[in-house]
Amino acid sequence: MTRSQGMKWVAASVAALSLVATACGGGSDDASDGSGAAADLKGTIFVTGSSTVEPISSLVGESFNGENSGVDITVEGPGTGDGFKKFCAGEADISNASRTIKDEEKELCAQAGVEFVELAVANDALSVITNSKNTAVECLNFADLYGLMGPESDGVDTWAAAKSLGATTELPDAPFKIFAPGQESGTYDSFWELAIKKTAEEKLGKEKAEEKKLRTFGGLADDNEIIRGIQSADTSFGWVGFAFADQADVAKIKVDGGEGCVEPSAETVADGTYPLSRTLYIYVNKAKAQESKALQAFVTYYLENGAEFVEEADYVPLPEADATAATTAWEEFLAGAGGEATTTTAG
Amino acid sequence: MASILTPPREAVDREVAAAISGGGRDARGLAFQTLLLMAMLMALGVLVWLLYSVIDGAVPVFSERSLGDFLSGRLSGSPTRFGVAQGIVGSFWILVFVAVFSFPLGVASAIYLEEYASDNWFSRGVSVLVRNLAGVPAVVYGLLGLFLFKGLLGSLTGGSSLISAGLTMAILVLPVVIITSAEAIRAVPQPLREGGYGLGATRWEVIRTQVLPYAAPGILTGTVLSFARALGEAAPLLIIGTATGLLTSSGGSVMETLRGKYTAMPMLVYVATKRPAEKWLPLASAAALVLLVVLLVANTAAILARNHFEKRRS
Repeated sequence: MTRSQGMKWVAASVAALSLVATACGGGSDDASDGSGAAADLKGTIFVTGSSTVEPISSLVGESFNGENSGVDITVEGPGTGDGFKKFCAGEADISNASRTIKDEEKELCAQAGVEFVELAVANDALSVITNSKNTAVECLNFADLYGLMGPESDGVDTWAAAKSLGATTELPDAPFKIFAPGQESGTYDSFWELAIKKTAEEKLGKEKAEEKKLRTFGGLADDNEIIRGIQSADTSFGWVGFAFADQADVAKIKVDGGEGCVEPSAETVADGTYPLSRTLYIYVNKAKAQESKALQAFVTYYLENGAEFVEEADYVPLPEADATAATTAWEEFLAGAGGEATTTTAG
Repeated sequence: MASILTPPREAVDREVAAAISGGGRDARGLAFQTLLLMAMLMALGVLVWLLYSVIDGAVPVFSERSLGDFLSGRLSGSPTRFGVAQGIVGSFWILVFVAVFSFPLGVASAIYLEEYASDNWFSRGVSVLVRNLAGVPAVVYGLLGLFLFKGLLGSLTGGSSLISAGLTMAILVLPVVIITSAEAIRAVPQPLREGGYGLGATRWEVIRTQVLPYAAPGILTGTVLSFARALGEAAPLLIIGTATGLLTSSGGSVMETLRGKYTAMPMLVYVATKRPAEKWLPLASAAALVLLVVLLVANTAAILARNHFEKRRS
């Protein structure tokens, strides 16, 4: 190959590759150009945290970007715990969370001088599920759940065996197979907090209960894996977020929190009758919000229009009162943000 | 003496006689051949099944949306808008890093090791090291990227950015490029070099005019295999961090793009498998299909380029 031929070849391939790049880039810009709304806001917003909340924040961000194409938004979902690690290191503007911030995470934020506003954005039902063939189990109360999943239940390998630990419902004498999220998941913590904690503390005392939390089981990292597991065994047991249970062929078990059996649904979560509903949050870095008009506008947009996207992502919008509380907390921060921030750390 | 070196006459006769009188019915040979055929068919079957399941899984997506819509779509929380454009762009940039850093560095190292380095403990040690590095799992390179490019050099690279991802992938495939290039250079017939020297050429001239042109097809093949690896690896990207929910960009200079957030093809497949399977699993298959097609195109291009160079050689 002569030198000039070589150069031509290189030039041609570079040209071809850059064509590909511009073609793709061009395609990806279409969505944001269409809207023609005011696009004077500029800035970047980085959202990390819970993978459960990720779809909501993504939908909100997509819509916000449609109106404010000058704002670059990135959303990722490594998990609530990992999210707080990044957030407290000052890497992220917003952290999605499927639970409230833990004390040790608050400590981390405080050490790094990161102050935040905690804002509730949606509700989610922890749906207790089993194989759709398992018609023998329709409803479980907290005593049953404690007998099946509590810290003392390590040897319980049939549903009926939960009786020895105080279960009150008549349960089938069939293998009890667990397919549920592992300890690193926010959904593990939520189940512990909502379903088991109270009973466990009454029986074992606070410290002992907190030490073990749920019984020992092989936790799964992936919600789809949990669903597949549930479908693979006739008398399986597990729990996932509402979106996963709602869209899959599994049976939702009703939960009795003391006032009768309630099935998880948008209505029962919204009116607060389903006992295992949890709140999903976003945490906003105060210092970053003070500096960035774009971030302020984004969070305001999130609170104003969130409900629509919450439903699209298959979660449940906050009840009126909680939504107003979140908006008020945010407005208070905004009012203080004009000058020196005086509001204290929320949480 | 003779009886040790050559087998006894009668034994050879018997073998020859058996081979002839057997009329080609060599039972054990036939069994072996069948076994090999079955092994080949099994390998092929798995491959076909994989392709089938990916295509079959992707069908629902393409029956509802046009191919162009899926190819131009971006990361999204909505399964009806989710598309792979940003993954293609991200993977393209990663390949640019691999091409710019791994290719020249790898080929240069290989030339040095094969043509210049004397055969001493140092060069042998480096060879062993490189071979072992090629076998190190991708996750480990991810950790390297996390500490080096996102941690130590974070202020330069922009943290979880295209630069960090691209450089990590470049390092990941570097050993493979070195090894395959070295093998290709080693396969250059010695007389070719000697002929060059005989005509009074310097070492550099011999390498440039004889060794490299002869080794080019081999080097190219190895390089493209490493490209394919860089294109398909998700583990290092998972560790360094990529956008998984949404990624919008208002444009900017190339430098801003490189220091900015990104996503890549294998990550899109991963992201889609994490969401509720009912609506998202077909998207994972569709993204995997796009990745496969891109790989196929890259490999075909490599084969064509190799043939082109091979023709020039002869």
